[in-house]
Amino acid sequence: MSLVKEYRCPNCGAGVQFEPILQNWRCSFCNSEFDKSQLTMPLEESQEESEKVAENLNVYSCPSCGAQLIADETTSATFCLYCRSHNIIKDRFSGKFKPDQLVPFRITKEQAKDIYTKWIKKKIFAPSIFKNKEEIDKITGVYVPYWLFDCNAQGYIEGTATRVRTWTSGDYRYTNTKYYRIVRSGSSRYSRVPVDGSKKLDDNLMYMIEPYDYAHMKDFSMEYLSGFLAEKYDVDAGEAEKGMRQKVEKYLENRLKETVIGYSSFNVTQKSIDVHDTSCKYAMMPVYLINNTYKDKDHLFIINGQTGKISGETPLSLVNQIAFGLGLMLIIWLLIGFGGALFV
Amino acid sequence: MLYLFKKLGIIIFSFILIFLSSSQVLYAYESNNVIDHLNFLTEEEVEELQDLIDEVKEDYRLELVIVITDDTQGKSSRDFADDYYDYNGYGVGSDKSGLLMLINMDKREVWISTTGKAIDIFTDAKIDKMLDMIKPFLSDGDYYTASKTFIDYTRMYSRNDSSSGYSSSGSTVIKDNSYMHRVRSYLSSPMTLLIAFVIALVVTLVIRFSSKGSVTVDSRTYEETGAFRLNINQDIFLREITTKERIRSDTHSGGGSSTHIGSSGRSHGGGGRSF
Repeated sequence: MSLVKEYRCPNCGAGVQFEPILQNWRCSFCNSEFDKSQLTMPLEESQEESEKVAENLNVYSCPSCGAQLIADETTSATFCLYCRSHNIIKDRFSGKFKPDQLVPFRITKEQAKDIYTKWIKKKIFAPSIFKNKEEIDKITGVYVPYWLFDCNAQGYIEGTATRVRTWTSGDYRYTNTKYYRIVRSGSSRYSRVPVDGSKKLDDNLMYMIEPYDYAHMKDFSMEYLSGFLAEKYDVDAGEAEKGMRQKVEKYLENRLKETVIGYSSFNVTQKSIDVHDTSCKYAMMPVYLINNTYKDKDHLFIINGQTGKISGETPLSLVNQIAFGLGLMLIIWLLIGFGGALFV
Repeated sequence: MLYLFKKLGIIIFSFILIFLSSSQVLYAYESNNVIDHLNFLTEEEVEELQDLIDEVKEDYRLELVIVITDDTQGKSSRDFADDYYDYNGYGVGSDKSGLLMLINMDKREVWISTTGKAIDIFTDAKIDKMLDMIKPFLSDGDYYTASKTFIDYTRMYSRNDSSSGYSSSGSTVIKDNSYMHRVRSYLSSPMTLLIAFVIALVVTLVIRFSSKGSVTVDSRTYEETGAFRLNINQDIFLREITTKERIRSDTHSGGGSSTHIGSSGRSHGGGGRSF
């Protein structure tokens, strides 16, 4: 498994790689550091440049699961990230691959391995295959396609709230319940709500590694791909918008509910929320992926390549859980017995 | 790893079994304290109960008596229980400390009579609690478990009671206070096992359900700062309802023991109910 990038160093002509820590490119031979403008300087006509680079893209397709990964000419994939198949087909990329924006990697591969290792160690019920070092070494950085939506939302909720007060007097306990009709209507504006454009990545797990820090978002440029793979979206903007609407409706509803304060309970009986004026951009977000197969089922772990936040689902071994529970019970039982007897 | 856990499980189980059984074979069989006129209990059961009673006697200086009968010689359950205890010479020490549980099949009543320092330890509230626990078994006709529950609770309350080392008349009662002895009584108590079980279960479940990751996005994450506007903000009072409910008076919760004088002239405490 090797993903090697060999952008040419303007000084010596050796390989140049993007360094997440420097947020710049570095020549692995003469150790010079370059920013984006220095690398692309020789090609001044930018229009021509992007077309030229697009021609140099390869696409790696997996016949067993249908995944498609894009890499520039000198970066290669040797196995499928999603199903671990080694039977992947390399082809020239044809068509349009032009994201608007991108958040570069900030976490290095080594840091990502550390994050995963620490995290999985705490999963005491996970089968040991998930802690295998060779598997952890397969961790791979991928730019995941995202649709970033801007929109306005207008919402209305109506419901009943109660305020309960109890007191005692003599031999009786009194309970007083006041009922209120609550109406809230409001609007808000949301920007860059992310929806991932990949069917292969579980939406819940992707939701858990959010948010990205947009302050470091850059205009897309091919140079950022060096050393990483990229995925082309297979969920189009129209489909992604449905997911975004659901999220935003929930956000605004919660926001309105938060304004109902000072009650013992509140039940929404009616609501209508409208999301409108939507617009979206196509962006790439950095993610590290590690995939493990256990009992013929793929388990994908996802690390945010910018913030390091991790999510993933490990299978739970029932035997491990019962044994752990019984072991713990024995320890507590002995502790109470031997410890408790000390203080009597 | 898996095998290790399995082995561990087996070790744990055998450990528990050995510990529990070892505490039962320490005393010789001799039944003076389980009087079963109706043969509701098998010989083995009587033997086991007697062993447990002997242990309590040694540990806490309290004599336990279990009487099952359908003939109370025309006396009330309370009087019969008190008299049976007094006239058969039960009790430990000068104040004749101990408890008697009478299962009166004639009236389908159970009565627990306390004497000596047991009167102080077993307050009315505790007797009530014990009867609560025992009654369901009696209703089901499970006399052995009822008797065992009686002994278990006696043991538990005696252990928890800080004044159990002293009799009501002020003279010190000597308990078997060796460390290992206390350890054993702690370990064999169902309460300890229950606490250990509950804690282990909670910890296991917490770890189990923390397996995925957590959501850190909330309803404000993608909201533009200051963009939220509230146009309508109405809270309209509709109606109110007030209900009242009688507070159950808990006269027993004070922790005292009510006493009466039996025909022999000795004080007894206790309580009972029908099943």
